[in-house]
Amino acid sequence: MISLFTETFLGVFRPPFRKKEFFQQLHFVANTSLAIIVFCVSFAAIVTILESSFHMKLVIQNDSMVPGFAAVLILRELAAIVTALLLASRIGAGYAAEIGSMQITEQIDALKMLGIDPINYLVVPRFLASIAGTMMLTVIANVFCLLSAILVSQLYLGFTFGMFISSMHRFVHFQDIIFSMIKGACFGAVIPIVASYFGFNCKQGAEGVGHATTNTVVLASIGIIVVDFILSYTFSHIY
Amino acid sequence: MKAETKVGILGVFCIVLLTVFAYLMGVISPFSNTKELFVAYNYAGGIEEGSPVRVMGIKVGKVKEITFDPSFKMPNGEEAKLRLKISIDKKAWSSIRKDSKFFINLAGVIGEKFLEISAGSVDTGEFSNGDYVRGEDPPRIDQLISQGYGLAGKLLEVVEKNKGSVTSVITQLDHLATNVNKTLVLLDKATKNREVAKLLDNAIKISDDLAYLTNGMRSKKAEETYELMHKLLFRLEPMDGPAIKKFFQQEGIKAHLF
Repeated sequence: MISLFTETFLGVFRPPFRKKEFFQQLHFVANTSLAIIVFCVSFAAIVTILESSFHMKLVIQNDSMVPGFAAVLILRELAAIVTALLLASRIGAGYAAEIGSMQITEQIDALKMLGIDPINYLVVPRFLASIAGTMMLTVIANVFCLLSAILVSQLYLGFTFGMFISSMHRFVHFQDIIFSMIKGACFGAVIPIVASYFGFNCKQGAEGVGHATTNTVVLASIGIIVVDFILSYTFSHIY
Repeated sequence: MKAETKVGILGVFCIVLLTVFAYLMGVISPFSNTKELFVAYNYAGGIEEGSPVRVMGIKVGKVKEITFDPSFKMPNGEEAKLRLKISIDKKAWSSIRKDSKFFINLAGVIGEKFLEISAGSVDTGEFSNGDYVRGEDPPRIDQLISQGYGLAGKLLEVVEKNKGSVTSVITQLDHLATNVNKTLVLLDKATKNREVAKLLDNAIKISDDLAYLTNGMRSKKAEETYELMHKLLFRLEPMDGPAIKKFFQQEGIKAHLF
């Protein structure tokens, strides 16, 4: 997997640059996943702010800091990781099944025979599209999470828009969303590498494709969580 | 619509969202309506970039920048090595005068630090944009604790040096307390004794009678009587003993005859 990542990374700088494939993959990653991601992260944000309020009231009988805390949690962790895990399930499985099917039907061998590098043709556009798409979706997820939190805090917790933003100012910095985008990019890099690895190593038959898909989702999710820990630990020294 | 166009629209949407977020966070402010001041401190008590600035308790700006400048001196020569660049809304600018004080305070449940500016008097002038002002350094808790430790150490030293005297004073105080206690017990017993109670009753009655008598002595009539007696004594004073004797003898004779 490490050699696949290295070859893919080097392939990014090696021509030919396949713009059309890149945009098609980016459309698949970002545009077609947008609705499901916005829907899911919004509910995650609602649960987060309601739970934060409940626990703060329980512990210190005061939830005036909840918007700030919830906003930090959303920006630093929730939006990026929920987006990445959803994408791992959706596009990771898709990539693994697609490349796996190509592998068992010997299409990849055919590509090699035609003198086309399968990594450059299949993995690099997906790799770049996944990075760019996850970054874009992370920004959108962050903003929709915050909007959901603002809406819920206004309807159920009694915070106005101004109070929410004012509380956010105390804890949130612009760099939080930048770090969130960096996280998104790293998570986005994990998914196609894992999916391509299992796709290329797919065993014959429908069962093999199924295994490749399942393994991709599981390993990509684990990889995302581990990378999240590493990045959070690293960023904690910068905050 | 082509995939590239859709992706492009999504990309533009992301950039717009990022810009809105940056605006809300105060990173970019194209419609800025603020002025700036530099506040100098030697100790800023944990204030951070982005901490709110309040005038009369209302948020009107924020700390934009913190600079360490070891060589900085105020115009009066005072050293102030920490410089805070603060932004203040123009609507609150006129409330900040040259005699305004710049405090660092705590607020909220988690003790959030903020810069509080007291409103100055109207007689003093306004600041100009970019002026330098000396802030009020907040008290240092660590220093107070350290001084407290020093004081406690000195007290301990004094006590150890005068151990004998202190022990003696405590012993005497103990004796005194014991004696006072005994006296109080005796007094308690005495008030419960029947004869003493009778004695006290009598004393009360006597004091009542005396009060009644002395009350009459304070009247106007009594005062006239005192004055009359005084005059009489004044007249009697020059008369010597033999003359009085002679007078009484004569008067006595007269009385005897009539």
